[in-house]
Amino acid sequence: MPEVKVAHLSKRFGDNAVLRDISFTIADGEFFTLLGPSGCGKSTTLACIAGLEQPTSGSIAVGAATFVDAGTFVPPEGRNLGMVFQSYALWPHMTVAQNLAMPLKIRKVDRREQDTLITEALGKVGLAELRDRYPHQLSGGQQQRVALARALVYSPGVLLLDEPLSNLDAKLRDQARAWLKRLQTELGITTVYVTHDQEEALALSDRIAVMSKGDMVQIGAPEEIYERPATAEVAAFVGRCNFLTGTATGPREVRLDCTGQAVAVPGTAVTAGTRVTVAIRPERLEILPPGRTAPADVNVLTAQVLTSSYVGARHEYDLRLGDHVSEAETSRPGLAGEVTLVAEPAAFLLYPTTDALPQDVEALITIAQ
Amino acid sequence: MTTLSPPRRGSAPAHPPPRYRRPLGLTRESWLQYGVLLLLAVLVLAPVVPTLYQSFLDRPLYEAGGVLGAGNYVRLFTEAGFGRVVLNTALFAGLTTVLSLLIAVPMAVIVVRTKLPGGRVFAAAMQWPFFISSLILGFGWITMYGPAGFVSVEVRRVLGFLPWDLYTIPGMALTEAVALAPIVYTFCANALRQSDASLEAAAQVCGAGPLRVLRSVILPLLRPPVVYSSILVISMSVETLSVPLLFGQPVGIDVFSTFLYRNGLQSINPDYGVLGAASAIILVVTITLVALQAKLLKNAQRFVSVRGKATRPRPLDLGWLKWISAAAIAFYVVMGALIPIGGLVFRSFTQVFTPLQSPFKSLTGDNYERIFTYPVYVQSIVNSLLVAAIGAVLVSVLSLAAVMVARRSSFRFGRAVEYLALAPQAMPGIIVGIGLFWALAFAPFGLGSLLQGTLWVLIIGFGLRALPSGFGSISPSIMQIGRELDNAARVSGADWVRTFTRILAALLRPAFAGALILTFVTLLKEYSPAVFLASADTNIIGTTMLELWVQGNTGSVAALASLQIAITATFVGLAGLLLKGRHQKADDNA
Repeated sequence: MPEVKVAHLSKRFGDNAVLRDISFTIADGEFFTLLGPSGCGKSTTLACIAGLEQPTSGSIAVGAATFVDAGTFVPPEGRNLGMVFQSYALWPHMTVAQNLAMPLKIRKVDRREQDTLITEALGKVGLAELRDRYPHQLSGGQQQRVALARALVYSPGVLLLDEPLSNLDAKLRDQARAWLKRLQTELGITTVYVTHDQEEALALSDRIAVMSKGDMVQIGAPEEIYERPATAEVAAFVGRCNFLTGTATGPREVRLDCTGQAVAVPGTAVTAGTRVTVAIRPERLEILPPGRTAPADVNVLTAQVLTSSYVGARHEYDLRLGDHVSEAETSRPGLAGEVTLVAEPAAFLLYPTTDALPQDVEALITIAQ
Repeated sequence: MTTLSPPRRGSAPAHPPPRYRRPLGLTRESWLQYGVLLLLAVLVLAPVVPTLYQSFLDRPLYEAGGVLGAGNYVRLFTEAGFGRVVLNTALFAGLTTVLSLLIAVPMAVIVVRTKLPGGRVFAAAMQWPFFISSLILGFGWITMYGPAGFVSVEVRRVLGFLPWDLYTIPGMALTEAVALAPIVYTFCANALRQSDASLEAAAQVCGAGPLRVLRSVILPLLRPPVVYSSILVISMSVETLSVPLLFGQPVGIDVFSTFLYRNGLQSINPDYGVLGAASAIILVVTITLVALQAKLLKNAQRFVSVRGKATRPRPLDLGWLKWISAAAIAFYVVMGALIPIGGLVFRSFTQVFTPLQSPFKSLTGDNYERIFTYPVYVQSIVNSLLVAAIGAVLVSVLSLAAVMVARRSSFRFGRAVEYLALAPQAMPGIIVGIGLFWALAFAPFGLGSLLQGTLWVLIIGFGLRALPSGFGSISPSIMQIGRELDNAARVSGADWVRTFTRILAALLRPAFAGALILTFVTLLKEYSPAVFLASADTNIIGTTMLELWVQGNTGSVAALASLQIAITATFVGLAGLLLKGRHQKADDNA
């Protein structure tokens, strides 16, 4: 299993740049996810690796083989990759076995070996008994597994998955995700996975690359992406996050716009007077019931409970913080009225002021005074 | 899931993809794609370039020592009186368009959107022009409504005079409008079917009555298809030969096509320069119209309100008006198509066809006998069938290749391939004939003398004309096949060619069969390029009919026309049965 090297990849359609200088290296056997909202360029990046799109510039290499470079372009059929498409793309006029046989026939594998490989691949996905069915006779989950078997049957160098779970219904998706993770670990095949579902990305990946509007924003392990998002945008896209604007008053202190209160933040290089955005995850905002005193060294904020929602394992509270609505998450039910919020300085993430949130969202979380 | 084989690490791939041959450093797909582009370019340009060249040349283009100049154009408008022809054509096309809109637009609204007694029958009846060429319709109209026609004679006997004259521009326009109305109908009916029925429901909820809904909601929706089909009708009536030839020629009314016919074919010493100049001007007109049409269609698609959610339209109830509407539509179908065609078929079995003497008294098989005793007439039927059969296969294959290149490849000139395949829309049949005739004089390697006077020239000319319909019938089907199916094959190791042979060919089989049927029928009806291209041995049904018509042998014309209709109907019926059988078999397999 080779490593995948993508360097300075750019793709333009006319004046419209859909990829700008994308570079990353995927290690042998790694489960690598391209994550981002629709239109961020993740699928285009995958299509470039597959050879279905020709990048405007940049290079792509898998192992010792260079697929794309100045003057070089290996067409998709010459790359020996396996790919599962969002629609599964099973050929409707062929049975499951014939679908799997196609790539083997093209490779002129002899008949007996074909049969062994097909049986083995269908066994991997647990569908050996369905080999003579036509795609339209299978359920969505079965089609997805057949597509995976077809991508694996010829032992490709790298497995490319383009949102393969997005067409399954919610319950099945969770199970399919766990199953996919087990299969990938067992096979140890280098995998590039494209999704817009951040939960899926966090659960499956060894490393995640977050993309936005054609740019690579951050590459890192799931914990790193979640705990230390490189930009406010990543923080907003991966998991939920409260954003508060403010002005730095010292190296470790920010005065919040919404309440006028100063909070301690982790040490940064911002100079006093700079406008900043402070972000905090809902589960890091701890709600103290009235009457309890907060420990020292933490930030204490006063808020009013607006609404509470019970979402199964936990309670989510919408809180009014000055003229701003913030969310907090806790296991404690039945809070109402004025509450005290506690947040460790380390829980705050500090970003230069940007419009991390779209305007309509911004309007929804602002309360007219 | 326990039978996992350990992956191979760091070694060569277990099953490497095949290496495809690259003759002269180009992939097979490049060879194919450039081949299609080149073939289309040669086919489309072959009639056009010699025509343009001839239009500026002071003598026939096969004579040496020609000098370029604009003299032909000057002569065209001075000596040849082309100005009158332009005026006639404009009048004819304009009137045809207005009449066909008047017939078709109300009909589409009534059939699709209201409760109409026999609505389905009417919708099906609007497909009649598919089976009947405009030439045959012209014969039929003359047989019934012409100065000596069956209906005319009877009307004159009752009234003492004939309130109409077919051999005028309005008479020609009415006939042509009857033939072209189904085109307008199809566009409007499709737009009405696709439009969101909830728009009407919304108006009804607001308190609008049926007529108000028609006026305020439905008719404005029809603007794009009306504009588009008007342009289509204009361009078709500008290039049509049949009706002007049969109706206008005897009384000296010339339009574009008959001008070319008369100057190119009927004069003893044809002025090729004038002919070329006229063709060039007509081409400019038709190309402009087709370009306009293409642009409008692009814009029109923005108007179409297609929703994923299927709302079943509730037809409006017009009350007593619906009986009047039904009668009006029945009048169109019966008087416009049924009586002329029925009369023509009847004519083919009689000796004399006039209300003055019961036609049943002179029933005869002579008209058919004459056709089957003269080998040249039999030959023309065989020729028609050969041209249609071979042409249909070739055109469908070329259309399929063009669609694949234009819509399903990353070929740099894919767009050019599409334009070339659709370009013959703008080429009137008679100009294709003249142009190919000149092109043969030009063709290298003695190709000209090899093809001249063979059926192959007809196949090329007719096929070129049928190419846009072939392309148009396959293209939507390919758009319905998800691109990921191709991509999956490519990633699995199939190159472009093999992706087609292994995956798309099987999925496109029904579309290909549809294109075969459509082009076969189109080619069987076609005749105008043959006016210039056919030799004594390569006459087809259409040219033979014209010949017999000029000789005054109307009984045999009627017989040949009936045969052509019968062949078309039989073929379409058989093909339909065959396709249906296949579908059922496929369903059983599934």
